[in-house]
Amino acid sequence: MPFNRKAHKFSASIGTVEIGTGDKAIKLGGENVMPFYTFDGSMGDGPKVGVEITDLGLDAEPQGVKDYYAGCTSFADIAKKAEAMPGGDFVVLRLAGGDPNGANKSTEELVAIAKEVSDAISCPLVVEGSKNVEKDAELLPKVAQALEGKNVLLMSAKEENYKAIGAAAALAYNQKVGAESAVDINLAKQLNVVMTQLGVSAQSIVMNTGSAAAGYGFDYTISTFDRVRAAALGQDDKMLQMPIITPVASETWSVKESTAEESDAPEFWGPVEERGIAMEVETAVACLVSASDAVILKHPKSVATISEFIKSLM
Amino acid sequence: MFKVTFQVQGGNTVEAFANEGEKILQIAQRSNVAIDAPCSGNGSCGKCRVKLLSGELDSKQTRHITDEEYAEGWRLACCSTVVGDVTLEVPDIASAYRSRMKVADLSSGEEVQIFENSRKQVIDAGIEQKNNMEVLDVVMNVPSLEDTMPDNERLMRAVSRETGIAHVTIPYSVMVKLARVLRDSQFHVKCVVRKISSDVFIYDIFPSTEQVVIGGLAVDIGTTTVSAILVNMVTGEIIGKASSGNGQIRYGADVINRIIEASRPGGRKRLQDAVVKETINPLVAEMCKASGFKANHIYRMSVASNTTMNHLLMGVYADPIRMEPYIPTFYKTNSLFASDIGICIHPDAHIIVSPNIGSYVGGDITAGAFISMIWNRPETSLFIDLGTNGELVLGNSDFLISCACSAGPAFEGGDISCGMRATDGAIEACTIDFETMEPSFSIIGDPGTKPVGLCGSGLIDVIAELYINGIINSKGKFIRDGRRIKHDKYGMGSYVLAFEEDAGSVRDVEITEVDIDNFIRAKGAIFSAVRTMLNYLDYTVDMIDDVYVAGGIGSGINMRNAVNIGMLPDIPQDKFHYIGNSSLTGAYMELLSTSAEKKVYEVASNMTYLELSTVPTYMDEFVASCFLPHTDTRLFPSVTVKND
Repeated sequence: MPFNRKAHKFSASIGTVEIGTGDKAIKLGGENVMPFYTFDGSMGDGPKVGVEITDLGLDAEPQGVKDYYAGCTSFADIAKKAEAMPGGDFVVLRLAGGDPNGANKSTEELVAIAKEVSDAISCPLVVEGSKNVEKDAELLPKVAQALEGKNVLLMSAKEENYKAIGAAAALAYNQKVGAESAVDINLAKQLNVVMTQLGVSAQSIVMNTGSAAAGYGFDYTISTFDRVRAAALGQDDKMLQMPIITPVASETWSVKESTAEESDAPEFWGPVEERGIAMEVETAVACLVSASDAVILKHPKSVATISEFIKSLM
Repeated sequence: MFKVTFQVQGGNTVEAFANEGEKILQIAQRSNVAIDAPCSGNGSCGKCRVKLLSGELDSKQTRHITDEEYAEGWRLACCSTVVGDVTLEVPDIASAYRSRMKVADLSSGEEVQIFENSRKQVIDAGIEQKNNMEVLDVVMNVPSLEDTMPDNERLMRAVSRETGIAHVTIPYSVMVKLARVLRDSQFHVKCVVRKISSDVFIYDIFPSTEQVVIGGLAVDIGTTTVSAILVNMVTGEIIGKASSGNGQIRYGADVINRIIEASRPGGRKRLQDAVVKETINPLVAEMCKASGFKANHIYRMSVASNTTMNHLLMGVYADPIRMEPYIPTFYKTNSLFASDIGICIHPDAHIIVSPNIGSYVGGDITAGAFISMIWNRPETSLFIDLGTNGELVLGNSDFLISCACSAGPAFEGGDISCGMRATDGAIEACTIDFETMEPSFSIIGDPGTKPVGLCGSGLIDVIAELYINGIINSKGKFIRDGRRIKHDKYGMGSYVLAFEEDAGSVRDVEITEVDIDNFIRAKGAIFSAVRTMLNYLDYTVDMIDDVYVAGGIGSGINMRNAVNIGMLPDIPQDKFHYIGNSSLTGAYMELLSTSAEKKVYEVASNMTYLELSTVPTYMDEFVASCFLPHTDTRLFPSVTVKND
């Protein structure tokens, strides 16, 4: 009997969210099939890769990252270099220094950095906050204001601060907003519902439904992806049809597989930087084949590998 | 050792001795000073307030105490420890768990009507309203020198002759007064007897001239509320009705905390005393006083309660109920008497206990499911009992399946800052104007009664109205501003139902975001249980023909609003029926009818129990339901929020 291929078609599709302006603007989402099932339908423009830089400079970065940015003396330089990284589609500025429990940089200082980065590049920009809900509620609206007209994606609005961030980012300054929830399909949906009730349109929301390094409770992340996608496509659940963006680098580069020096690690583990890249790549691949419409990475080798991976599957 | 003096407002003064570092709440409980502590003293409910009059305490100020209140000396008993001699004022509000006993006014007829309707339905279902208690008129020969048979044999022979039953038992309580009654009545007496095929038991004896009423007592022992009725066991007439808070509340709001408390040294006695001596006996005394009835003329009692409550009522060791594999001491028991557990009615009165079918589905549900009559119809119905434990029974004349979920005390006003039972001053219904956001109420009590707080039905209305009028969002957070909406220094929003000057209490009556959140979790527990059970059976909501909602949460529920907040499934309004306190009604029928008692046992043994904690999707359903009305709005097509 000949093999008869049956296409698994859905009548629903993931929404499209555009970030950036001009020629280099990108569209996240738009697929109407399970990840990379291009034989069944459309994957839209395909998943995108973001290149992460932070306001903390390069001192703490792995050697390969330092080498890539060698010679850069300002955030503008770093941003330009990040934009030029082969395989990257957009730049992500993570304002980690804003954390009151860390460097506690002032909002003004961070907004100035964001402005400097934004002015230096022409590709789309994503700005991540400090992860402190109070600080982000103050910081991200100011960033949204300073970068008006650039159509940036601000991450992230959470249940505790979605009003301040959602209202400023999407309503007042016409930017896009990331909605972050903690690995639970219902909490993800609830946040989307209250954001849209606030007046933020579904086309301005990108979800971050949770992230982890592979091996670190990662099964929850993946199972949430699966279920969000199944509900979005299978049940046409409008409040779960936002594209998903997943920060990977900020999770994978801090676990012991990526940080333990060779002298402290079991013999067969090998060189520390290779391990870090492997963690970043493995995690990103798993996210992409499960649902992510964009991943955020930082090592040039990872960016190149993942971008190649996406191309070969499209 | 330091001296701790409790001055109970409007009451006595109690002195206790304690070591440094001991918690005030524990000292109070040990010394029998009633302080309300529904959260078992972990600082989360804020109800155990005491006022420092002199001395010092090591005390943490929590979010429940404002700066001014702290300066005035208010402290939480559970967050305060002894550092020296101290004198404390215990506000009367601390004994509010007793919530002023309510003796119902039976003249209105509404209360009585529910029982009357149930009685008719039960009789229509072919269940005879007949029990084995009766009053026998007995005439004996007056003894003489020729006829020297002792009094007890004389009575036994006469009763035997009258009933045709050979064996007659005369208990001690009758023996002691026998000689006097027989002679006062010239050996023509009335006996209150229980007749079974092999034995006649004489409970009491009266001169034949006396009007004898066989009293019966039906009690619903809820985790939060205890309700009771006093009835004429022959006619079924209701002589009295009363309810009060369960005295055990100060040992914890839920069954688990009660069991833990009961496992402590002396705990079983404390918990038993709290429900028997502080709750049921006063209720009986009040009802008897109001109706002029004598408590020792109550010859039978019927109890419907959850498994933990009937264990604690009997003073049975209950710890295995909360520990895997969750085995109770009994499901059924038929040899319990009033004197065993200190209920102040006739000491030989038999206590009928509605059967349990699981550690968390008890006699309250078997009695309730019986009275809902869902076992007697071919159509599939759903029975929901809204209590501290929410219980559901789904089925028809062919099958019954039940499950229980932990809803918490919110439906009875617990865990809600302005919550109260459905007694005088409770707001039982409410509407809110969309434009002005001004509320209008219906309040329990005489006309002109000022609002004191919210009972369950009022809570459903207030939250539904806040949501439908766009004042709170789906997460229960305030999104509109106005003169009735306040935010405290922590940013927590609240809605003022009645300002201090219009309220029947010393502060504003308001509902906070924390209250709303607690209530959303309670309604989420109910709805997710409904969904889980239906999914488990591959049923959809439109396959349910009728929904019977029970619970002592007010005179009635606005079903439209219960759907608006996503507590009950979105099906046509005419399918919903509120049947009041069904476990009390069930206990009432078991009292009146031996066949009904048998039927409850039969219904119980035909009921399958679904343990929700073993269904993997339950937690998901729960989170999805903790939203107004639900994360999946397609389940509630008829719910719309107003906007301008």
